Amino acid sequence: MKQTAGTLNRTWLTVLGILLLAAGIALLLQAAGVLPTRANTAPAGDKVVPGDLYPYFGVSWVVVLLMVIGLIVGVLGLMWLIAQIPRKNTADTYRLSDGAQGRTTCDPSVLAKAVENQVNNLPGVVTSSALLRGTATEPNLTLKVTVTDTADVQDLLRQLETSTLPNLSTALESPLQESRLQIDVSSRNQNTGTVVRSTGTVIQ
Amino acid sequence: MSRNSGRSNRLRRRPSRTVPALIVGSLLLAAAVALVWLAIARLIDGTWSALLQGPRDWLTALTWNSPAMWGIGITAVVVGLTLLLCAIIPGGFIALTVRNTARDSTGGEPQVKERETVMTRRAVAHLAKALCEQVDGVSSAAATATDKRVHLSVKTTLRDTGELRTRVTESVRDRLNATGLDPVPRVTTTVQFKG
Repeated sequence: MKQTAGTLNRTWLTVLGILLLAAGIALLLQAAGVLPTRANTAPAGDKVVPGDLYPYFGVSWVVVLLMVIGLIVGVLGLMWLIAQIPRKNTADTYRLSDGAQGRTTCDPSVLAKAVENQVNNLPGVVTSSALLRGTATEPNLTLKVTVTDTADVQDLLRQLETSTLPNLSTALESPLQESRLQIDVSSRNQNTGTVVRSTGTVIQ
Repeated sequence: MSRNSGRSNRLRRRPSRTVPALIVGSLLLAAAVALVWLAIARLIDGTWSALLQGPRDWLTALTWNSPAMWGIGITAVVVGLTLLLCAIIPGGFIALTVRNTARDSTGGEPQVKERETVMTRRAVAHLAKALCEQVDGVSSAAATATDKRVHLSVKTTLRDTGELRTRVTESVRDRLNATGLDPVPRVTTTVQFKG
């Protein structure tokens, strides 16, 4: 249901992995004496830091540069950590119509709640959670349905296809761009009981 | 795909590599905080912190071919390879696809342009365990599921475990097929006699 930072993680892990691998290989080649003969670097027996470090790190602009590098790395690291928090990224308010006569808007959470209420009453459903993304003209529904372990999943799918999704599509006056359904199984019983279809006369 | 594009991520996806990302992100942040703190302290006091005295002495005495440099090089290669493998190895899908035959039979104007129906691995394991416990002769059962395989561990008081294993395997496979898992994962069963 919630969106994670899979692509971002893979990208950064690849970049850092390649950098570390390249640095490690270069260090090993230098220590083995391969780089000094091939690339004319310092001999393998030489000191890593010739002389004192003060001339390099005593200069103010180097200190400021180090601080800036630290700030950049810190901000990137913090943003990467924050990106790990799963996000719902729900849709903004749907603008169903916008004309001279007026504007009709709808909070997607209201529609999501209506979908949940309808799905919760289907046989075998323990609970459900609906999430709408996209726009009113290109809506995307992500639905998580928890069913009992005796539920008929194909029958549930049939009921979703014949009632819930068409109802949502009708309410939005637009076909759904995406419908993503995740089925979970629980040993709990259905809260709402079994649906009983009734007939009768409405007296006004 | 951007997380803010309005589209939904696929539910049947590979693991997000959150753990390695959290570890590396935390290490980067910690190193950056230390660097900024040391640099600010240097700008305020005019001298580098005494904490850096030890590393500085160690660094100035180091030669390129010393064992410490070999150690640093090998560590960098190992960590780099580990990060690369974390990024490259795809990992198993976290959910299994469910065949949605209902959409083909509804007819009329399509209400949905793109569909995806999945069942989580945990849900499949839970379902398999419940189905297994309904088979006559099964005392208790446990199930684990990957995206390709469901394994059942059954305990029974029956001495003839071979026949029960066949019954349990076929029963669970048939029901997973009826549920609509596509493809149906391979079902394996181990039966243990509970004396």
